[in-house]
Amino acid sequence: MKKLVYDLINKINIPEISFADVRFTSTDSQEIYFEKGELKHFVSKTDAIAVGIRVLINGCWGFAGTTDLSKYSLEKMMKKAIENARTGSKFRKEKVTFEPLKPIVDSYFFKPEEDPFLMDESEKIEFHKKIARKLTKNDKIIHSYVYSEFYRQYKIYANTEGTFVDSLVYDSLPMMYVLASNGKEAMNRTYPGSMNGRRGGFEIIRKVKMEDNTEKIIEEAIKLLDAPRIEEEKADIIIGSGHLALQLHESVGHATEADRIFGKEISYAGKTFIKPSMLGNFKYGSEIVNIYSDSTDPGGMGFHLVDDEGTPGRKVDIIKNGILLDQQTSRECAPQLGLKPSSNMKASFADDYPLVRMTNFCLAPGKGSLEDLIKSTEHGYFIDFTKTWSIDDNRNNFQFTTEIGWRIENGEIKNIVKEPTYYGITPEFWNACDAICGPEEWEFQGTFHCGKGEPGQSMHLSHGVAPARFKNITVNIRV
Amino acid sequence: MSFRDDLAQICEEYPELKFDFRFMEWETDFCRFYQSQINYNISKTSFILYADIYKGKKSYGFSLVNPTKNLLTEKIEEVKEIIDQLPEDPDFVDIEDDLTKSEEKEKINNIEKVSLEKKISILSQIAEAVKPFHFNIFGTFIANYQTVFMVNSNGLNKKEISSPIMLQLKAVHEETEVTVLESFGGENFDTFDLDLFIKNLMMKVKAADKKIIDVEPGEYEVILAPRCIGEYFDYLEGSMSAASLDAGRSFFEGKLNKQVFPSTISLVDDPTEPGMIRRSYNYDGHVYKKVVLIENGVFRNFLVNNYYSHKLRMKKTGGIGASLVMKPGEKSLEEMISGIKYGLYISNLHYMNFINQKETSLTGLTRDGTFLIENGEITSVVNNLRFTEKISDILNSITEIENKTYVVPMSSNYGNFNIYTMKMPHVKVKKFKISSSTKTI
Repeated sequence: MKKLVYDLINKINIPEISFADVRFTSTDSQEIYFEKGELKHFVSKTDAIAVGIRVLINGCWGFAGTTDLSKYSLEKMMKKAIENARTGSKFRKEKVTFEPLKPIVDSYFFKPEEDPFLMDESEKIEFHKKIARKLTKNDKIIHSYVYSEFYRQYKIYANTEGTFVDSLVYDSLPMMYVLASNGKEAMNRTYPGSMNGRRGGFEIIRKVKMEDNTEKIIEEAIKLLDAPRIEEEKADIIIGSGHLALQLHESVGHATEADRIFGKEISYAGKTFIKPSMLGNFKYGSEIVNIYSDSTDPGGMGFHLVDDEGTPGRKVDIIKNGILLDQQTSRECAPQLGLKPSSNMKASFADDYPLVRMTNFCLAPGKGSLEDLIKSTEHGYFIDFTKTWSIDDNRNNFQFTTEIGWRIENGEIKNIVKEPTYYGITPEFWNACDAICGPEEWEFQGTFHCGKGEPGQSMHLSHGVAPARFKNITVNIRV
Repeated sequence: MSFRDDLAQICEEYPELKFDFRFMEWETDFCRFYQSQINYNISKTSFILYADIYKGKKSYGFSLVNPTKNLLTEKIEEVKEIIDQLPEDPDFVDIEDDLTKSEEKEKINNIEKVSLEKKISILSQIAEAVKPFHFNIFGTFIANYQTVFMVNSNGLNKKEISSPIMLQLKAVHEETEVTVLESFGGENFDTFDLDLFIKNLMMKVKAADKKIIDVEPGEYEVILAPRCIGEYFDYLEGSMSAASLDAGRSFFEGKLNKQVFPSTISLVDDPTEPGMIRRSYNYDGHVYKKVVLIENGVFRNFLVNNYYSHKLRMKKTGGIGASLVMKPGEKSLEEMISGIKYGLYISNLHYMNFINQKETSLTGLTRDGTFLIENGEITSVVNNLRFTEKISDILNSITEIENKTYVVPMSSNYGNFNIYTMKMPHVKVKKFKISSSTKTI
């Protein structure tokens, strides 16, 4: 395939085109899904190939992609990309321009500890079957499932500046769910929660120890049926890593995607409350809040040697000591903000158009263990496991519900509470952060399903976080 | 011999197995624009086969990109090695056996009919119209062309062609960022009336040229635009499926043939309704037929596919909820607005998510134009607002329904950018709970 990509990039390198890149992906995936103890889906996609060409002509982007690698199809794709850019430039006021980058020629091949695509299928099935059967062992559990997803993608990226990089990565995602009912209402628990994607192979599925946690989530789901709700108007909340990753994702990650500043996502994903004038001075969070984008960390699913427009992987401080410094950018929008491209342009597959995307978007650790943090909390709630999430068009007003919460009194965990729901305004919320746990609690969370763009793309990305506390948060939301 | 014929032949070549094939040839031309200029133009094609193989109650599924008979045969041989190792699904009985066909007629390819040049010409005219009012246009102009072949071992052999087209356009004020939305969607672009589209958009642009205010949380009388009530029904439709009933998540569990909403509310899933994007089959290949969901407030039918018809012993309905149509009421929009002393007009919704699906409780936000109504007139633009509500409470609080309906195009966005339509009127809701303001437009 390298030759195919070489040939395409050489062929497209014509004077009319000021920049072009070609991507090729071959993706394998597999899903195992047991419901109520029975195998319902065992599905695989093998060698799903795609190729895409992006060209810049007269300051306008054109793109075409296909899954068909026949000569006729590739010729047609090149012509389409050129025609899309050439015709599109007639309705373009500001011409897209950016600085050239030094070419990079390199390779990266991730090796999982246990390759799910080489394992015996019956071993994977038996592993999940045991868990699935355990999830059904209580009459109050009316629905349950366990599933895992495995993903492997080989990618080649090449551009007209001479960059040529290929890579191979593996990601895995485990999940289990129970729904308990008392005939009047139903409450669910999941494990390991919705930020459950990780870089790696089957070892990821083993590490989360789903089987050891089946009884715990069954018990908690049943207890939630009779648990009280939070009654007070405002309270201090400690957010566990799984849910905090989503809080970070929605209220900082998406908010600091620079394409939103320019309105490029208004039609679907939305805008951002951030304005260019805020860079370097806006107090986004309290002084302990340090947030960065780091595509150089191979531990996360956002690692790459170059992004999908040839920018080398970078670590960028987005928020330093609470102050907004930088954005996640493309080569096109970085200079418009006086910034250096942050290496955040990514596409899910080669026939998808690259967009400004989170890679490894992280909250830097503070100090101390979760146990210490709970001990230092006089009254509040420890909440985790996302149930509902919603944030406005400008990433300013959010509301989250978690599956479960634990009341804290005088530094000790007391009873559980059902469906804890809190609401906030993004900068007010991050300015209310008074403690973040230390490196011993910091770990990568992640998702396979970050949606953005039209046609929509689902991105794999990671968030490094440690549990954190937020003071005096509105928790009195009632339906 | 076509690949469709190959699929039928394979069904015969392996009598010990049962196959359920779905082969898709898909193409899209996707124009995305912002700030009254092109963002990017995308053209994509894909060829993909989805296959489920059954041996008794055991099954294995896979997909193949650019499939050929040889590739498929190789894969089947691999699956034969695996399938015996798999546990059975005791709930599986058989694959789809509805052999009824819809008419296989060719459809106009809107990718060819509406070229990028033509799209740009239309967008330029709209951009010029809003420019004097300091608005820019943002959005998407999409055409798809898709052929789907459904072939299975029960003799099902069907073909469906679709070519939906959609223009989703937002006009955004250069300084205030006040946004209004206008859209077109369907299969016949000859019905697109540019002058009317601009006229409707300009009415909204002019309404948006008002002072911006905030409102306090609380209960409001509101007018929901057709898109909003359509979205609520879209979310509620999830509770109308047999799958959600089986999963213990359905609001309608135990409510079949019971009065659940006011008698003024009737809802059908009807792909034959004029002006709608018409689909011929559901995902199993069953003919997609009209299904009455809510009749005069009474819940009448779950949407039941092949698998759950066997599992739950319910009759297959063939509906998939992709063509929802609400029965209009008796009032004009003007009459509905004029009767409100202090309330809101909500144009569009954003980022809704269930808190508890069975209870229909959810949260979400308003978007693309929220307006204050005072003494029967729209007087101000309101910041986007958050609501935390039960859909069932919203529907039970509907007091008036407009006497006409509008085709509302929607898209599932992911995968093959499936565009579908619904037909909805404006509705008036007596008590609508606003839980907070976003303090932004």
